[in-house]
Amino acid sequence: MPNASSPTGAARPAASSPTGARPTAVRVARTAGLLALVAVVLLFPSLAADPFILSVGVVILSYAVLATSWNLVGGFTGYISLGHAAYSGLGGYATALLILRTGMNPWLALLAGGLIVAAVAIPVGIASLRVRGASFVITSIALVLILQLTFQSWHTFTGGSNGLRVPRPFGTEVLRPEQHERFFYLHAGLLALALLTWWLIERSRLGAGLKAIREDEDKAQALGVPTFAYKLTALVVSAFFTALGGGLYALWFGYLDPIFQFSILVGTYMVLMSLLGGVRSLFGPLLGAVVVGYAVEVFKSQYGDTQLHLVATGVLLGLVVLFMPDGVIPALTSFVNRRRGAASIREVSAEELAQQREEAAR
Amino acid sequence: MTGALFAQSLVLGILLGGLYALLAAGLTLYFGVMRVVMIAHSAFLILAAYLAWFFHERSGLDPLLSLVITVPLFFVVGYGMQRFLVSRLRPISLTTMSVLLTFAVALTIEGLLGFVWTGTQRRVQLPYSGTSLEVFGVSIAVVKLIAFALAALSLGALYLILRKTSFGRALRATTQHPEAARLVGIDTDRVAGLGFGLGLATAAIGGTALALDYTIYPSLHWHWIGPLMAIIVVGGLGSIPGAAIAAMLLGVAASLLQVPLGTTWAQTVFYLALFVTLMIRPQGFFGGRLAQRF
Amino acid sequence: MRATRRLTVAAIAATTALTLSACLASPDEGNTQDGGSAGPDDPIVIGVSLPLTGDFAEPGKGVQRGYEAWAAHVNANGGLLGRQVELIIVDDQSNADRVASDYERLINQDGVDLVFGPFSTRLVVPAAQVAQDYGFLFVEPAGAAAEVFEQGFDNLFYAAPAIADDHYDHLAEYVLALPEDERPKTVAVASMDDPFAQGTAYGLRDKLADAGIEVVEDEVYPPNTTDFSGIAAKIADSDADLLIVGSQYQDGVNLVVALQQQGYQPDMAAISGAPTNAEFPAAIGDKTEGILAPTGYTPTAPYPSNEEFVEAYTAEHGTPPAEDEANAWTTGQVVAAAVEAVGCADPSPECQQQLVDWLHENEVETVVGTLSWDAQGRPQSAHLIQQYVDGEITIVLPEDVKEADIIHPKPEW
Repeated sequence: MPNASSPTGAARPAASSPTGARPTAVRVARTAGLLALVAVVLLFPSLAADPFILSVGVVILSYAVLATSWNLVGGFTGYISLGHAAYSGLGGYATALLILRTGMNPWLALLAGGLIVAAVAIPVGIASLRVRGASFVITSIALVLILQLTFQSWHTFTGGSNGLRVPRPFGTEVLRPEQHERFFYLHAGLLALALLTWWLIERSRLGAGLKAIREDEDKAQALGVPTFAYKLTALVVSAFFTALGGGLYALWFGYLDPIFQFSILVGTYMVLMSLLGGVRSLFGPLLGAVVVGYAVEVFKSQYGDTQLHLVATGVLLGLVVLFMPDGVIPALTSFVNRRRGAASIREVSAEELAQQREEAAR
Repeated sequence: MTGALFAQSLVLGILLGGLYALLAAGLTLYFGVMRVVMIAHSAFLILAAYLAWFFHERSGLDPLLSLVITVPLFFVVGYGMQRFLVSRLRPISLTTMSVLLTFAVALTIEGLLGFVWTGTQRRVQLPYSGTSLEVFGVSIAVVKLIAFALAALSLGALYLILRKTSFGRALRATTQHPEAARLVGIDTDRVAGLGFGLGLATAAIGGTALALDYTIYPSLHWHWIGPLMAIIVVGGLGSIPGAAIAAMLLGVAASLLQVPLGTTWAQTVFYLALFVTLMIRPQGFFGGRLAQRF
Repeated sequence: MRATRRLTVAAIAATTALTLSACLASPDEGNTQDGGSAGPDDPIVIGVSLPLTGDFAEPGKGVQRGYEAWAAHVNANGGLLGRQVELIIVDDQSNADRVASDYERLINQDGVDLVFGPFSTRLVVPAAQVAQDYGFLFVEPAGAAAEVFEQGFDNLFYAAPAIADDHYDHLAEYVLALPEDERPKTVAVASMDDPFAQGTAYGLRDKLADAGIEVVEDEVYPPNTTDFSGIAAKIADSDADLLIVGSQYQDGVNLVVALQQQGYQPDMAAISGAPTNAEFPAAIGDKTEGILAPTGYTPTAPYPSNEEFVEAYTAEHGTPPAEDEANAWTTGQVVAAAVEAVGCADPSPECQQQLVDWLHENEVETVVGTLSWDAQGRPQSAHLIQQYVDGEITIVLPEDVKEADIIHPKPEW
């Protein structure tokens, strides 16, 4: 698992080309793109000039894991969760507490933590997914706030405001730069797994159903899509991967504090990254994570002493929502496609169709 | 729990519930007219509190006088926000996208408050801050009483506007059935804008009331939006009487539970009520049929 | 075309990743190569991450002023080992993830020779971990909670007289020595849910409880609490003789105001945090008389280097230093003492280990008195107890340094 070999699996020729046109060229191009991506990820640790850059790389990959996991529910169903930090935070705490309280092997604890969080997501999903969007968002924010309160005050169990030190999975003989490198590959592996899951779901009946829900939930229901079960499945799978991301990060970072684990801002970043990169594409959240993660670093070094980073995040999110709700990449590619006059069939949302009809009617 | 402590907590709960009721009424109003979950409501609340504090710092006058400026200002801002930002969103994904948009506005306000006035906690220092009235062994702080009176009066005024004016009728019609309202000649866009302004005006009043007795800091709005969102779901999204009743009940419950459970765990009553409501009655306990679909 | 779109995305992601690594590397190129091979004329570079924005911004800025005043003072007096001192201070936004990444950057990219600690217990632990991993000496100005010293760090030293639990030692002795009829029978406790605030409050509570004084009310409130009327109602209802509050700043003010609203009058009020702040009397409307507070520092303390410090600081800022500034200055003094004694200041593990070893075995004379540490870095002294007497905050305990007699019972507020 600790390497990034799985994305190449995604390039395996499948009966998937939606157009059927130029299959070989597409396949070659796609494989080349993926190979380039894998190569960059694999080479990054040796290109990084010092351990600090490598640690930034780990953080960005961690963002990418979280954003991709978020997209498993946000992108497929269109249900926006602002509180996914609840699942990553729970994943971190579950992993740490399992290791500390039961002496479990750290990697087993990580997996068990993910499963526990997935189980927690079931009742949350049942409560918030029976009704449409608004209640889901409200519940997601409430979940972060309630977890922050309880984990902060439940001193005997969670360590409360004292924080919780997470034992290192690798011994002290593994020096810090070496730790960074190992965790970089571990995060890359987890990211590959999350991407593969997205890819598999997209090609499944489940994926088709979820996208139907995103475009028009009433019609999907009328057509016999078991909407509630599908939405719940997406949420649980998403919570599972988010928890693994949170747990892996906790193992690397080595310290948990409820204020930073259950933070609204972390959840916001996941949404911003996914929206920015494009919620409908496999690699969108990854791209968003790279851009936002880098921007956060730069912004900090430029304007570190002020609260302007909140303003920047807010304004950026506002602009994306107002002008590019499908993401920057889709906005750019559709612009390029229009220039090229490409007339191939692509995924068109109900909104876009409605818009086209409106334009045609004028 | 002694009888005196029970009475004291009950009174404190009612005073707090009054403020929650006013703010939740505003929050549910936006949802009613626009199907918008206005996350920035509490950020505007804190902004108003800061303006009241700043007004007091600079002029030395009573912070209540800042209402003369903030209420009209917020009304205009609310109207503008609906007409120029929220109405730009695609109708089909309005509810979710408006959450993100208002969330972005909340972050921006928080950041600007921190930028202008730093993260330092602020408090209005009044000659009557520590003064209280003794009624049947219960002490009621004067500042809390003023805040409650302000909230009650505004809630009453809001009720009269919605019930007795033609604008109120148009607004209720827009809430209940926008298409039908348009058919009978109501300019629903304008009504929605005005409704938004009205909602934001409640945040201005609530913020000033808040500044009288509370410490304020930029990220305080997260502390308010959670309970408020829980209240409007419990009360039924879009229902103003529902929001007011739920606010009062939960405010009193939180205050009474604080005695046996402590501050932290008492806060969770709002979220528990939210989850229970969604589990057994997703449309809310006091609301109409509107909430069912959202 | 979906396939092409994917490809584009992948390609963009790949290029961005590459640019990222290139861009992040470029800004401080010059510093990475010099590592430990600084010449005798190069300044000694000291890296610090402080919360200049966010929740801990106020005390963070105090620490910053203290560090800068210390560096200016050292440079004006011939530097350290004959070299000038240069501070690199970065902002961690009061965020634990950031503070670790900041020290990672300072050590690896800026190639600092020494590091100083950040502010707040919540940030000290993750920062100390990074310093430990790279073998750096870690002297910190603010991380007093007992838990900090139970994490197995052997490079960590707290540059203040005592850890949080021992702040009230002098007061506990005083209370327990009171004659039976004057001694409080009951105590009410309220503390912010914060390791430092709880440490101070619970240190006193436990010492009194062990001596048989009954704890009738014990409240904890989250850091973001703004409504204190419920807690005040419970404390007023308990009518305890002694009130203990563990506060940061504003929460202490709010609680006192709420207690006044409820008409509660204790015989003794020991409040850590808020009262030592200069704005406290104005904030609660001058009803301060008799309030007790522990402090690790006072500008009037008779220690030799303190006069120098107060003079240098006051000359620059116009006001005498407060506790945060003093703790930062103390941090500088402690590290400087080790550097002068060992004769090295470079990032090599050998040098850093020598510094650590020296501090474990020696005492350092500072503005808060003579400090020495146990194996986990706990300082071995106690805090002074101050009280508002005639509107001025004054040292009342211990007996040998007091400026006025302690007032008991406390006048009504």
